[in-house]
Amino acid sequence: MINTLAYGLTIGGILYIISVGLSLTFGTMRIVNFAHALIYTVGAYALIAALPFLGGYFVPATVLAVLAAVPLSYVIERYIIRRLYGASIDYAIIATYAVLLIGVDITKWIWGATPIPLSDPVNQYLNIFGVSLPVYRLIIIALSLLVFLALEIFLRRTMVGKIVVAGLEDREAVSSLGINVEKYFCLIFVIGSCLAAFGGVLYSPITTVHPYMGFQVLLLSFAVVLVGGLGSMRGTFISAFVLGMVMAVTGRFWGPAAETMVFVVMAVVLIIKPIDV
Amino acid sequence: MKSINTTTLKKFDLLFIAIAFVMLGYLVTFQRTTDFIIFCIFVVSYDLIYGYMGRLSFGHMLYLGTGAYATALFCDHVSSNPLLAILAGVVCSALLGAVLGPIVTRTTGACFALINLAFNQVGYFLVLIGFSSYTGGEDGMSAFFGNLGPINFNNKMTVYVFCLTIMLFVVYFVRRLTSSPFGILLLTIKENESRSQFLGYNTVIYKLIAFIISTGIAGLAGGLSILNYTYVTPSFIDPTRNVEVIFASLIGGAGSLYGALAGGITYMMISNYLPNYIQRWEMFLGIMLLILVFWFRAGVWGYLTRFSGKPGKEMGS
Amino acid sequence: MLLSVGKLNVFYGSAQVVSDVSLEVDQGEMIFLVGRNGAGKTTLLKTISGFLPSGSGKILFDGADINGKPSNELALMGMRYVFQDKRVFTQLTVRENIHLAAYPFKQKASEAEEKVVGIYPEIVRFMDKKAGGLSGGQRQLLLLGRALIGNPQLLLIDEPTEGLAAGIIDQVFRVLKMMKGQLAMLIVEQNLAVVSQLADRVYIMQEGQIPRELVSQADIQDQEQLEKYL
Repeated sequence: MINTLAYGLTIGGILYIISVGLSLTFGTMRIVNFAHALIYTVGAYALIAALPFLGGYFVPATVLAVLAAVPLSYVIERYIIRRLYGASIDYAIIATYAVLLIGVDITKWIWGATPIPLSDPVNQYLNIFGVSLPVYRLIIIALSLLVFLALEIFLRRTMVGKIVVAGLEDREAVSSLGINVEKYFCLIFVIGSCLAAFGGVLYSPITTVHPYMGFQVLLLSFAVVLVGGLGSMRGTFISAFVLGMVMAVTGRFWGPAAETMVFVVMAVVLIIKPIDV
Repeated sequence: MKSINTTTLKKFDLLFIAIAFVMLGYLVTFQRTTDFIIFCIFVVSYDLIYGYMGRLSFGHMLYLGTGAYATALFCDHVSSNPLLAILAGVVCSALLGAVLGPIVTRTTGACFALINLAFNQVGYFLVLIGFSSYTGGEDGMSAFFGNLGPINFNNKMTVYVFCLTIMLFVVYFVRRLTSSPFGILLLTIKENESRSQFLGYNTVIYKLIAFIISTGIAGLAGGLSILNYTYVTPSFIDPTRNVEVIFASLIGGAGSLYGALAGGITYMMISNYLPNYIQRWEMFLGIMLLILVFWFRAGVWGYLTRFSGKPGKEMGS
Repeated sequence: MLLSVGKLNVFYGSAQVVSDVSLEVDQGEMIFLVGRNGAGKTTLLKTISGFLPSGSGKILFDGADINGKPSNELALMGMRYVFQDKRVFTQLTVRENIHLAAYPFKQKASEAEEKVVGIYPEIVRFMDKKAGGLSGGQRQLLLLGRALIGNPQLLLIDEPTEGLAAGIIDQVFRVLKMMKGQLAMLIVEQNLAVVSQLADRVYIMQEGQIPRELVSQADIQDQEQLEKYL
């Protein structure tokens, strides 16, 4: 019971951290950024690359991995996505998918296709009601809450955040006020990408790191975004944890079906509440 | 603005296509051409929703795979009559399209792309793990067709002729469909859906019908590939392979039947011969896609027709 | 001349929505654009204000060629577009809506609030409510007040009284009347009572063109005559 709950919350936490960037870019720019999956993957590989240089210390390696996402995502936004503004949305989807393909192939080129396992960086266990839980997972849950709070404060209290909230709703109207929306969207894109890389870093000790790890996660986080409601940050938060629990509970009965169940839930939600974008 | 050129092309296009594919047979062997033909049918089915209806799907492999598995299962468990088995594949795909269609066709843009991908993922999982006792899981399954009267479908040449004939039927059918009022309405939906709704059309029904036709034809392509390979593996339904048909559709020129055929052939040529020379296939595909999106949107057919002075699309849009 | 549009053509795909339109707005003038639905009025306004890519033609604002400039730069230059459909930011409070408009002009928040309160005093009661809770009329008044922040020279207003109840139209009318003369306005409007009482000049738009311009007050106040163009 407690194990399933903890597992669900951990998955939910990571899903939230990855999905929130997707939700922001999807809500503001109305495109699905397949390259989000690439940044997630790059985050994990950057961690692996940085660890030996930093004496195996996880925290500074994490910081480096997250920072690596900044230039990469900036280039993708500036030279791929922004060039396709105003063109059909399909071209942006195809172009970011192309970026994902290229990026994954480069990752394979550098690190090979063999999955790389990572050990638990904390390696301590906490006993809760007679069940021993890895502390690392509890840290992930705490970090996801922290990210949520930080984003809430950023979006509700700062001027830049308010511009983003307004832009999620109506980017034309923001532009009519004399605000250069694209500049803020670029910022949001970079922040979201950093969180994707962060998610990749956090998840890699739980699963293994391999070049295609992003594909699956992208679909899951897309389901999170859709179930949570487009552009709704709080909705994304709640749906990430609900779907995390769905995965955990399904996984308890039949492991392989865990991820599929998420898509079933998504389909049901879409039948009840269709989205027209 | 119908020029003489297009009229002749239209009148004899089936003949031209047939000749082209026979020549292709001599060029790259007939067995390989069968592959090309089947893929072209798949591209045509994809182009119906991407090119004509303007919906980019990342999950069309689901219907190819459903057709393939349904054909193989029918063949193994019900009857080895190839026509019946392929028909079963078509019907299953179309039925799946009819079940999922009402959900997916309500969405557009990014949602449409990814919901299809998600369903494709579910289908992939079901084939690979969920129903692995029927589908053979990762190893796949084989299907052995019986003879149809005197015709032996284990002869590769027979399969080639059969597939080519089917493709010509598909081309004829799709061309009739797209130049009918129904096809014109699809293009209107692509350009401005609310306007078509405003004009009093129930766009939901039309989109659904187009989706079901498209999934049915994709199932046909799946069934034919069983005829060609006599086995099926999960790669027939692998969602990451959707990029192939998107690529073909783009490179040929979306929204044109001939473009779809040109794209199908071009992609098959590239994927059959270039991997021998290019080490990093995915990177190559990615770069090609970027080039297509940024500088080559009209596709091969669009440019061919532009330079030869013929109208690019067989329908004015 | 503050705004001068010459032989403007706008296309949607292959369909021409605006053809060879020329119009002028002088400092402080209140100009109305009248025509049927689908005549291309909104397209024209959106093109002038940089929300739609223009076709051929000249758009001069304050002497500068602005054809093809992005909407946000035009707003900073002193041309503001007020959308139809009362598009406030529903997730933000009224106060935040106002502050957002003050931000690009680096104007003090309190000054910006005063500006809006100046044309719509009752708004102080809703300052900290979500703008999504405002009625259509309240939203329109907020939008008009918000558009004044940064002291623009020209407002392009799309259907300010559309879908409002009679009593609220009066309120919007009073505000427009109050603003008249202080800055130039180009307004798309279907309510002919509003048009004939406020207009300095009226452009008639039909099927993407402007075949007529009404200059004399006698023509403008003849509502029956105007009715024929709707």
